[in-house]
Amino acid sequence: MSGELPMYPSEKPEHPYVLDSYAGRILNTYSSRFCAGCGYGIIGQIYTRVFEDLKLDPNLHPLVIGIGCYSQILLLVHADAQKVLALHGRAPAVATGMKMANPNMKPIVFSGDGDCLGIGGNHFIHLCRRNLDCVIFIFNNSIYGMTGGQGAPTTLFGAKSSTTPYTMFENRSDGIKLALAAGATHVARTTVAHPRTFMKYFKKALKHKGTSVIEIVTPCVTYFGRKNVDSLGAEYLGLEGKKMDTGGKMVDWIKRNSVRINQAKFMTEEELFNKYIIGEFRYESDKPEYSEEYARIQKIAMGDK
Amino acid sequence: MNNQNGKRFLKPGRHLMMGNEAMAEGAISAGLRFFGGYPITPSTEVIEHLAKRLPQVGGVCMQMEDELASINSVMGASLVGAKAMTATSGPGLSLMVETISMAANLEIPFVFCDVQRCGPGTGSVTDPHHNDLGLVRFSGNGEFEVIALAPMNCQELFDLTITAFNYAETYRCPVFILSDAYLGHLHEVVDIPPKEEILNKVIKREVPPSEEISPRVFSYLDKVKNEYVIPKPPIMGTEYVPGMFLHTPHGPEGILSPDPFRFVQTMVDKIKTNKDKICLTENYKLDDAEIVIIAYGLPVRVSYRAIEIAREEGIKVGAFRLITVWPFPDEQVKEVVKNAKAVIVPELNYTGIIAEQVERVTPLGTPIIKVPQVAVFHHPDDILKAIREVAQ
Repeated sequence: MSGELPMYPSEKPEHPYVLDSYAGRILNTYSSRFCAGCGYGIIGQIYTRVFEDLKLDPNLHPLVIGIGCYSQILLLVHADAQKVLALHGRAPAVATGMKMANPNMKPIVFSGDGDCLGIGGNHFIHLCRRNLDCVIFIFNNSIYGMTGGQGAPTTLFGAKSSTTPYTMFENRSDGIKLALAAGATHVARTTVAHPRTFMKYFKKALKHKGTSVIEIVTPCVTYFGRKNVDSLGAEYLGLEGKKMDTGGKMVDWIKRNSVRINQAKFMTEEELFNKYIIGEFRYESDKPEYSEEYARIQKIAMGDK
Repeated sequence: MNNQNGKRFLKPGRHLMMGNEAMAEGAISAGLRFFGGYPITPSTEVIEHLAKRLPQVGGVCMQMEDELASINSVMGASLVGAKAMTATSGPGLSLMVETISMAANLEIPFVFCDVQRCGPGTGSVTDPHHNDLGLVRFSGNGEFEVIALAPMNCQELFDLTITAFNYAETYRCPVFILSDAYLGHLHEVVDIPPKEEILNKVIKREVPPSEEISPRVFSYLDKVKNEYVIPKPPIMGTEYVPGMFLHTPHGPEGILSPDPFRFVQTMVDKIKTNKDKICLTENYKLDDAEIVIIAYGLPVRVSYRAIEIAREEGIKVGAFRLITVWPFPDEQVKEVVKNAKAVIVPELNYTGIIAEQVERVTPLGTPIIKVPQVAVFHHPDDILKAIREVAQ
């Protein structure tokens, strides 16, 4: 049946923001490889929109991509962007080397929850500590999607995954709290259900001099939604939830399960359990940035202060 | 980045230097611009010296949070066109192999100083032990070739570091300098050549002229000439880059390759077919020698002394020294051991990692005597004893 039709559209669709994507130019497919209902398509498009709107120089904004489902975003972003697929969890360290060897650059790091808060946690902490000028995105779908739905450090309490078949019992890792404690100077969390806020934070991060950590909560229907019910995060209400087996249901759940930072101040710990607090947590534009500080050290070392 | 404020080169002439410092100075002379490291005995003096010297020449020396981060930052720096290096010892090397394998895949050049210490495990931190060679030549998952150089004195630590950077630029593979705890802490006189002489030797990292830029930025087999073409390393932030750096089997344009066999073949054979240019060796009194000593690194110095004593006794013995330990110079060793009465391989390890390779090319029936030693120098008598035994 499907053999008659091409699997992906092979002509560039008419749309102001569909740029000449890498996959389009090389593989002749103008489509994403993500599952139905995945949020990474939204992220890829927002990245492209911001890139186009701000007319960013691709040479100065290399993409450093970790390993996870989101690695496929590199096929969506436009062909001239400079991309490197780093090892699992090591993207912040690669970005550090790039920025320090060429201080004109502002690397943009794509990483996932398992990538950044699991295997690469140490690199992430020290990137924030140095306040190195770069943007780091944490795509939080609270599951290891690429390997088939195993539990992640961010998996919510009580959720089911293929390595936590009897529900998750571990404490959840919070990337935002970690970034705040480590000293990142621009920290925000948003979700794919709030794309305009996401664009706002991204644009602000590009202007910011220092480490910008932006966590984006994104749905994984295939491995998270199908196994879990939408009462997750509202346990205290004692509801009986329904399966989140479509993208729409998951985005609805994400909207319901996220709390604005101003609102969260008036909520109890019990009410905030398993919720995502969204908003801008910190913006400090006057903190010293690592590569600038190093340039100062170089001047001292050269003896011309 | 290319600061030329005169501090890059030391004053020509004789300097008293520690081995680790000589290695660091060699790297600066070769144009080192980024060093990412993590302190580990016995390599610590490298990062200490570079933390002082690199900012003076406009370079960056970073102490990273761990070995994984240091090797990855080195890779990032090399990707954007800075000559980059790291230094560590055995336990650090074990942590770094993941990225070495990836750098070999993406053909990212960098130099790796391995100041070996006694192992396994944490081992004994200030004793020499040439035990990392096995790990170096198979450093990481997958099949690829690396280059490993073994200096034997501080002068060579300086010179061979420059050679190592040139090899990294030319062959685009991880290049190792196999020092050890004694050599790294040895103080010796190093003769620094004049600036012009060094600059003539050094291969610069630069974007090729625009008319020479082709989309093929990774190595490939030129089927007409039947030789491997290794293009200059791409530099991110310029026009000379592939569409993406993808660490899966890829073709010369960096696009996912449906033919992993061809890819692995290229990774291995681009080094193997250039063996005659890569393999540096040295002959010592070999012309009339009946007994051949094959050695590398510090045991070479002991062997030379043992040969002098044995020659006084009238025993015809000579030494063949491997400066490039890996790739192993099969052909040259085969030639040397062809007519030998016996082969002696003194090594600073117990298993005899190079002795195994020598066995591979030695004719059947020729005895191979291993002289193993761990954590201390050989005494010339150890080697002499072996020489006298086979001479009888």
